[in-house]
Amino acid sequence: MNSVLEFLNVVRAYVRGVPILDGVTFSVAEGEVVGLLGRNGSGKTTLIHIAMGMLFPQAGSVRVFGSSPNERAVEVKKRIGYVAEEQVLPRTSSIAELIAFHRYLFRRWDDTLEREILDRFGLHTNSKILGLSKGQARAVALLCAVCHRPELLVLDEPAAGLDPAARREFLEVAIQFLNCAGATILYSSHYMNDIERLGSRAVMLDGGKVRLDSTVDRLREEYCLAVVPVHSLPDPDLLKKEPGCLGTRMYYANWHVVFQGSPEQVKARLEQSLGSDGVRCERMNLEDFFVELLGGKQSDDLS
Amino acid sequence: MVLYIAGMQILVHAGNELPIYRQIMGQITEALAVGRLHPGEKLPSHRELAEELVIAPLTVKKAYDELESLGFLETQRGRGTFVCSRLPKLKMADQREQIDAAARKLLSLAYMVGLDLDDVIGILRNAEDELFQGAHTAAGRAATKEGA
Repeated sequence: MNSVLEFLNVVRAYVRGVPILDGVTFSVAEGEVVGLLGRNGSGKTTLIHIAMGMLFPQAGSVRVFGSSPNERAVEVKKRIGYVAEEQVLPRTSSIAELIAFHRYLFRRWDDTLEREILDRFGLHTNSKILGLSKGQARAVALLCAVCHRPELLVLDEPAAGLDPAARREFLEVAIQFLNCAGATILYSSHYMNDIERLGSRAVMLDGGKVRLDSTVDRLREEYCLAVVPVHSLPDPDLLKKEPGCLGTRMYYANWHVVFQGSPEQVKARLEQSLGSDGVRCERMNLEDFFVELLGGKQSDDLS
Repeated sequence: MVLYIAGMQILVHAGNELPIYRQIMGQITEALAVGRLHPGEKLPSHRELAEELVIAPLTVKKAYDELESLGFLETQRGRGTFVCSRLPKLKMADQREQIDAAARKLLSLAYMVGLDLDDVIGILRNAEDELFQGAHTAAGRAATKEGA
């Protein structure tokens, strides 16, 4: 399948010697919906800025539709829709003026989609941006990003700060857009439930690298959390050496270990190989997965 | 557009115990089991259902594909997705363990609040009536029972 977006060993530091991205490699195929996950400061926005040609990678390369987003900036941007994390819209413009401006920039414009988004969010085109609620302003930003029917939609925490109903409406538009245009989407979000609804694949950034890259369904079905009492197994290295171990952290008096495998398999294996009693294994949803893998007191940080 | 196929109202919850595509599969097979969905009936397209449930179209497609490979649904080119006219029988051996486990759980819950076995049987009868309330025809119900 054609890849729409390709990151190859992308490196970027804001402070010399402290890379925020330290060799990020993955690609997004046509029609894929990829959720970009990671803690605050893990480099999600930096990576998105690099894809948008707003920042240069200091090493490695990025390709959008096979081209460099810097060298063929206009050509590439015409095929992208982008909603930034802190989207700044001209405050004194009306919605109508903003739409007119985007129509002028993009030859292709979907009037039906425009109408539907305006209706869905109850927006009046004569309203000025400064009078809009946060949710309405995000909706206008989304409208401007999708109505030219981009082949690639890039959303940087599109729903941050929105109430649950507004977030759902935002998702509805994204799904509708996916349905009508069959586009590729890359979006970063801290809302794991939204990722589960919209995303088919999750890419997790941690320590400047891709920590995990998997379909959401596989994350839900092929991994589990093992809870092992620390007193029964004081050395976490033994757990880390077990096959399929992704991460270990200490939580109160237990080790929380993320394993690849079903809870039954992992429990049986741990009991056999470590002789450890009182092991409990459970499946995780995406939010738990995030917390267990990226949350505090990872055994690598303990010394 | 809101779509209801003959009383099959699907609800999904992100962050639930099961991935969303499994939730859809479970609810469709349940609708089949109790006769709320019949052989030959047409399902909404995966795109329509995706919009209604606000989930990725591919997720619905995955649920449909899995049900198709299990023999519950069939896709007719250009016409849509339908419930198979002959539904596969689930193998007793595959299900027995889960049924036994569910029975043990039900009994222990009931005994904890002081119910006895007869009470539990009464509860099961009520549950059966509720489940089949949505069933449209006696034939559908009989066919389901035969398949069980």
